[in-house]
Parts: sequence; structure tokens; C-alpha cells
Amino acid sequence: MSLLTVTQGTTAHKVYRWLPWALFVLVVISVPFWAVHTPSFSVGDSNFTFSLGNLNHAVAYMVGVLGLGLLVGYNGQISLGNSFFMGIGGYLTATLVVDNEWPYLLTLVVVLPVCFVVGMLVGLPALRIKGLYLALTTLGLAAVFPSIVRMDQLRDRTGGANGKRISADLEAPDWLPLEDIAEFLSGIPLIGDWMFGDGRLGGRDADDVWVFILLALLATAAFWVSRNLIYSRPGRSIIAVRDNETGAAVNGVNVPMTKTLTFGVSAALGGLSGTMYAMAIGFVAPDVFGINLAIFLIVGLVVGGVGTLSGAVIGGLVIVFVPHWASQIESVPVVPERYLRGPTGTFFLGVLLIILTFFLPGGIVYGWRKIRARLVTVRPAGHAASGEEVELAEGDSAGGLLSRGQDVLDVDDEEEHGEPVSAPAQATNQGEPT
Amino acid sequence: MELFLARLFDGLSAGATYAVIAVALVLIYKATTLINFAQGELAMLGSFFVYIFAVEQDMPIYVAVVAGMIVSALLAAGIERVLIRPFDPADHLPLVIITLGLFLVINAAAGMIWGFDPRRFPRVFPSGDAWTMGIARLRWYTVGTLVTVLVLLVLLTLLLKKTKIGLAFRAVSSNLESSGLVGVRAGPTLQFGWMLATAVGTLAGALFVADPFRQLDPLWAQRVLIFAAAAAVLGGLDSLWGALAGGLILGFIESMVVGYVDWIPSQMGLAAAVVAIIIVLLIRPNGLFGTRTVERV
Amino acid sequence: MSDTSTATSTGAGVSSGPTLLSLKGVRAAYGQVRVLHGIDLDVHEGEVVVVLGANGAGKTTTMRAICGMVGTAGSITLDGKELVGRKPADVARMGVAHVPQGRGTFADLSVDDNLQLGAFVRKDKEVRADIDRWYEVFPVLGERRTQQAGTLSGGEQQMLAVARALMGRPRLLLLDEPSLGLAPMIVQDVFRRLDTVKAELGTTMLIVEQNANLALGIADRGYVIEAGHIVLSGTADDLQSDDAVRAAYLGY
Repeated sequence: MSLLTVTQGTTAHKVYRWLPWALFVLVVISVPFWAVHTPSFSVGDSNFTFSLGNLNHAVAYMVGVLGLGLLVGYNGQISLGNSFFMGIGGYLTATLVVDNEWPYLLTLVVVLPVCFVVGMLVGLPALRIKGLYLALTTLGLAAVFPSIVRMDQLRDRTGGANGKRISADLEAPDWLPLEDIAEFLSGIPLIGDWMFGDGRLGGRDADDVWVFILLALLATAAFWVSRNLIYSRPGRSIIAVRDNETGAAVNGVNVPMTKTLTFGVSAALGGLSGTMYAMAIGFVAPDVFGINLAIFLIVGLVVGGVGTLSGAVIGGLVIVFVPHWASQIESVPVVPERYLRGPTGTFFLGVLLIILTFFLPGGIVYGWRKIRARLVTVRPAGHAASGEEVELAEGDSAGGLLSRGQDVLDVDDEEEHGEPVSAPAQATNQGEPT
Repeated sequence: MELFLARLFDGLSAGATYAVIAVALVLIYKATTLINFAQGELAMLGSFFVYIFAVEQDMPIYVAVVAGMIVSALLAAGIERVLIRPFDPADHLPLVIITLGLFLVINAAAGMIWGFDPRRFPRVFPSGDAWTMGIARLRWYTVGTLVTVLVLLVLLTLLLKKTKIGLAFRAVSSNLESSGLVGVRAGPTLQFGWMLATAVGTLAGALFVADPFRQLDPLWAQRVLIFAAAAAVLGGLDSLWGALAGGLILGFIESMVVGYVDWIPSQMGLAAAVVAIIIVLLIRPNGLFGTRTVERV
Repeated sequence: MSDTSTATSTGAGVSSGPTLLSLKGVRAAYGQVRVLHGIDLDVHEGEVVVVLGANGAGKTTTMRAICGMVGTAGSITLDGKELVGRKPADVARMGVAHVPQGRGTFADLSVDDNLQLGAFVRKDKEVRADIDRWYEVFPVLGERRTQQAGTLSGGEQQMLAVARALMGRPRLLLLDEPSLGLAPMIVQDVFRRLDTVKAELGTTMLIVEQNANLALGIADRGYVIEAGHIVLSGTADDLQSDDAVRAAYLGY
């Protein structure tokens, strides 16, 4: 079945592992220069745009989804209130920048520890309240945030129901050769012109690119820290607690400590995401950080893939671009115009969730992994291909349709009828970064 | 004293409506041990059906309510058959995600189709007060809603305890695997649960928006859902009468706390509700009346 | 244990009517893990057949395969009708009553409700009469008829489970490890009752057990299963006198 077989330890294997990363880095470096010109594509009457502002928004949300995923996917605590911490981060940054004239990045020094501590405090009652009840309680927490921000007592700082506009600008530093990079990219034969325009960065463009670079760096840091956490010893404790709390405890894991600390880290990531949002959008309002955001974060997590890190990247992109493009749909045959003025984004996200559950229950990342496993087989060094190997995924795959045992039995039938069955039905892809 | 009564009646009114929605949530929970996010939105949709029947089709309000309940129950039956049945009822994760997706779809569709302008909903109960004492007014609306909830609960209890379908429902709720072994088909039984819960939800919705102080818009269920869920949790997620108790208690807390404690602004009613749930769950993790079954291995 | 059996293979044996249940080449798997590798087994009308085996050998999986509770390949027929691929509720409606491992009691429903559920598929009017008869046979159940079934002792729950299964007037009764978790005296009582049921009702039974002694005591025929394969079969007497079986399962 597979197109390609690669043995661990060879150069081919190293290329296989690192090529996706190299491509990803290339994309990340060049995409702001492409998006700054707000490219668009048309389908029928509708014109769908892709702006740098959207992209920055997505990057900010990616970190929020990451925080949620850490707690839910890797630690098994069904806490759905990460938007609460995003709100704290966003508003803290807003007030510090506007009222106290702090530089944006410096606010992280306050946001991260505050959110971490508050997160741990929230994590304490979470030790006793589990499962469904925890989900409801944390959703309640998320729903309450806008009310807290609207409180009269905090009005001066938060701007109350009107929100708070952050007037401080982020200016690209002089030493950064953004214009040179833009020129270089537009000079690339064939695609340069079409993708990167004429290579010039007018007015605010350079500043927007700079914001993207900052956000990308922050996001990279967040993902890098999360990855190291997961693959470390404390990380294994976190996952062990998810899979079998009693077993973990019996093996010496301090379960309450692990759970509350994970809550703290997840909350800190949420706060970071809120700060990034403030940087990207420049405006915070109560309803931005309410229950809708909490639900969207869940959607992003599920679409990307629960129990994966790279899923958060996809999740962030989905929850920004699906609503954005949905709002740009001009007309659909049969459907009355005024329907399209409504919350179409939410509608499509819901449909997406339902479709995904039927066809890709593990999320997009799992779908990708399955495709990849069918195309490329990784053979452990020094062994001939052995019989049935069980796929080791980084986390649970979401459930699915009945009788998965049926797959194994069908393989049997093939063997008995004399057809050669390619030895591992699923490849082992241990320790893959994505 | 008057003030207390006034607050009491307010709490009663709000609490009764939370209770009815909570009952719908508990019904679905009993059948599937899932909290169904879509239930609130289905109730909202049902209330729009009632509106269409009563206002646009000019039916008498009681007929419209029944018609709305039937139509929404049929819709729920279809949803269960197409979106829920393909999945293993014991595996919760895909089901939770599907109900979340349904929540979003129905929520958005209602907004798209009917827009967000509030509409006047016809009266279900006579307007005016049944009883007054100074500023404390017990409205007919409150009395009517409470009586309806009580009658509903009695009917539901009879249904569950005395009929065969009720027995099947309780069997699936008690032990999914064994229910299959005695010949109870999980699919149709769950479908019945969905239909029942949705019909109850529509009734709850109609009662809720029929409050002379409220209007119909697609967002009411979203606003109330957390209160109804809190009520269900407070009372114990598998207890129907507990939902009533939970709803009433929550209604009282909301009106008392907000009324008597000055420094909490009125929007904090929600926060008070959340805090209440947390406290109750810490002390009694199964809610006030939730059953903790005695199991001998 | 050796693969060759010293006992006779199945064929016409004691009290055999027509074949009621037939398993041919049955394989079953949980997810990726295969448990049964090709089981052949027959139960004739009116017989009591026992399947013996150690923990993890696949006894329970065999039961679950019959009822459609696990992914199954191969053929399982009841009265000639194929069971593989059917859901448990449908298999139950065809007249198969399964008492699962651990009894599967509806713990938070009353004893009476449990018995009523046993008769769920019946459409006749004698259900109440049957229930009352069971209360006579098991007075304990009668005393506790309104109590939550989960409050009964292990032995009482086992009686309740058997009564519940028989309430459906099944063609075939499946019992999965009836002795599990019960004190030895209770277990003896359970098997005594099962013997009475066999004598008075003539119900066809397939019993899966680790406790080989008691099981062979009421059985007509038996099979031994190891690691997902049938390794031995024969009449109950033959199995009881087989040296290998005695060494491995009967302890002497």
C-alpha cells in the first residue's frame, strides 16, 4: 500500500522528518509579505480576502487553542474556560499599555504569572469536580467574564461595555531589513511578482509585518515550551494522569500537583494568547472574550485534533478564517440574501464539526497522519518488516463508528485468500513532531 | 416583609422557567449520560415554531404550543436518526462534538432566518396579578408556569414508571449493555428520549418567552442555558424533581443575592449561579438529589 | 495442554435434539487485538454445554460474539439463522438470553423492574404470573421486590440475573461465569438451581466457567478453550476423566 519505505537512521529518514519543518519555516517567513497585499480569490459573486490582520488574529488564537489542548487533550481535564484567561491577558495588556504606558511585550511579565496563579487557583476546585460537571462549571466561568469586565467598579480601567482601544503602535525597528526581504521575495522568478507584488512596503505595512513577526516568535516560543513540556518527564506525568489517574498515583506521580500545575500552564498560555490578541487587533471588548470565544476555542481544538500540538495551528486558522470568509459570501443560489447577513460563520463551523465527526473523528491532524502512514512506511533500523504493528498515536483518537475490530478481521480475510498483505497495516511513527 | 415577598415571587418566576428547561436537559442526560448542548437551541427553535403557528398562522395559543411541540419532536427524531444513531452510545466524545456542532448550526440558522430583532410573543396565561401585597406581586404568569411545571413532572414520572417505553428508557439509562441483552433497542429508545426532551424543551421555551416582560429572539436560550444547566446540576443530573428544586433555588439565589447585596451589580446573577454550583458540587458531587447507586460487585 | 484430545469429539451424544446453536470458524477481536482464532462449537436443543478455560482464554469473548457485542467474523447460527452482524437487542429478540459476567444487574432499578425487563420482548399477558412464580421460587427476591437491585448480595443478584434471563422464556440461555465473585457455598447453590432449571424447564444452556468441577456436574457436553482455540471437546463424563483436563482444570 505504501509508496515509500524509509528505514530509521538513514539520511532518507532524516529528510522525511525534517523536510516538513523546513517547508513550514519557509512558509512562515514568506507569508507575511504575501498577506500584506491582502490577496483574494473569487468564487462566483464573492470575493474572499486574506489579510495580514486576519493572519495575526489567527496566530493569537492558535496559542489559546494550544492552552486549551494542553489541559483537555494531554491532561484529560475537561475545562472549557480558557477564554477567561485570554480575557485577563487581553485586558491586562490593554490597561498597562494605555494607562501605564508600558511596552507591549513587557506586559507579559505581569500577564503570565498572574494567569498562571489564577489558573492554579481555578485548578484547585477542579480536583474535586470532574468530567461533565467541570466542563459546565468552566463554561460558566467563561460566560461570566464579560460581566466582570462590565462592572462599574472596574470601568475606569476596562472601558466598561465600550471596550478599550489601545492606541500605542508597534513600530518596526529600523535595523530590520524588511524592505530588502520584500524586494528579494518579489524578485523570485515566476511566482515573485504574482505573490509578493512589487516588493515595496508602504506606510504601515512594515509595522504590520513586524507585528506578525513578533506574534510568530511568541507563538513559536509557546509551542516550543509546550512540546518540551510534553516530551519531558513532567509531561509524561501529565499524560499518565490523563490515561489512568490511579495508575499514575500508584507510580509516584503527584496527581493533584500535576493537575493544578497543568491548569496553571494552560491558563498562562491563555493569557499570552490574550496579550497577542491585543497586539494583533488593538482593541479589547467584553464580548470578545465571552462564551462565544470559549466555544470557538473548543471548535478549533477539535477540528485541529485533540491530543496534538500542531492541531492548534490549524485550529487557530479555522476559527478565524471560516467566519471571516463566511461573512464575505455574497450570494448562494436558492438562499435568500438576508440569511447571508446573519451569523454564517457560526453556521459553517457547526457544519464542519458535524462533518468532521463522521469522517475525521480525530481532527485534521489525525487525518493527515493516516494519509502519511499509508504513503510512507517507517521501518525500525535493523529489523525486517514484522507482522502487525499497532499504531501509536500521541493521544487518544476520538471514538468513531462501531466495531473497529472489524478492520483487523478483514485483514485476516485477505491473508486467507492468498493476497499478500503489506506487513504493518499501520506504521509506527513514534516521536514525530507533528 | 413586602420586599422579601417581592423578591420571592421574582425568584419563583425565574426559577420555574429555569426548571422546565432543566427538566429537558435532565431527560436527555438520563438517557444518554450526556449534556446535550443542542437541547437549549432546539427549545429555542421550538419556541419559534410556536410563534409561527400562533402569530403567522393565527392558531389559538394552546394549539400552537402543542403543534410546536409535535413539530420539534419530529425534528429531534430525525436528528437522532441521522446524526446520533450511527455512533456507539457508549462512546461520548463524538456525540458531544456532534451536539456542539448542532448547537452552533441551530443557533446560527435561527439568527440567519429570523434575524435578531425581538418579537412580541403571545400571552399564554392571563396578564395581571393573582395576588398582591403592597409591592409584592404574584403574577398569573408565575402561578401558571409553576402549575404547568408540576403537572409536567407528574406526567413524566408516570410515563417513566408505568409504561413500557418508560421502562426501556430507564433501562438504557441504568445499564446500557444489559438493556441490549434483554432486547431493548438503544436506538429507538434514545430517539424517544430526544423527542420527549425536545417537546418538553419547546414547552419550556414557549413558557419562557411568554413572560410579558420578555420578548422572543434567537439568543434567549443561549442566555438561559447556563442557568438551566446550573439548575440541573444543583438538583442532581439524573433527577427530574431535582431539576425543579434546582431551578427554584437558583431563581431565589439570583433574586435574593442581587436584591439584597448592594455591591453586586445585576449582571452578576450569572456569577452567583456559577459560584453556587461550585459550592454545591464541592460538598455533594452528585448534586442535591442525584442518586448514587449502591453497587455490589 | 496438548492439542490432541483423549476424549471423543462431538457428535451425537447425550440428550441431543436438533442443533440449536452452531459456531463455525468464529474469529473475534477487540480493536486491534484478536482474541478468538476460529472457534467451532455446537449446542443441541435441550443440552447443557459447558466451555472451560483459564482467564483470558476467550470464554467471555465467545459469549459476546454470539450476542453481537464484539467485532466478529465467521458464522454463528441459531436455528439456522445467522447471528453475526446483528446487534445484541436483535439477538435477544431471537430468543437468546445472556447473563453477562458480573450479572449485569440494573442496579438502580427495583428487583421487580429487573424481572419485568427480562420479559421485555414478550407480548403475552402472563408476565405478571411468571414474576410471581419466581418470587415463590426465590422468596428473597419477593421480599426485596421494591428495593434497588444493587443492594442485593452477590448470590441474590445471581439468582435475580438467572430469573431475569428466564423471564424471557428463551430458546437459549447463556451464562458467563456464574460463579465469579461468589462465595463457594453460594456457588453450589447457584449450580443446584441451574440443575433444577435444566430438569424442570429443559432450557438449552451454554455455560462458560472457570470452576470446572461444578460446571461439568450439570453439563451434558463440554469444550475446552485455550488462547482463542478449542483444544478439546467431549461428553461431560469424558472430560471429567480426561487426565489433561483433570490436571489443568479439576485440580487432581
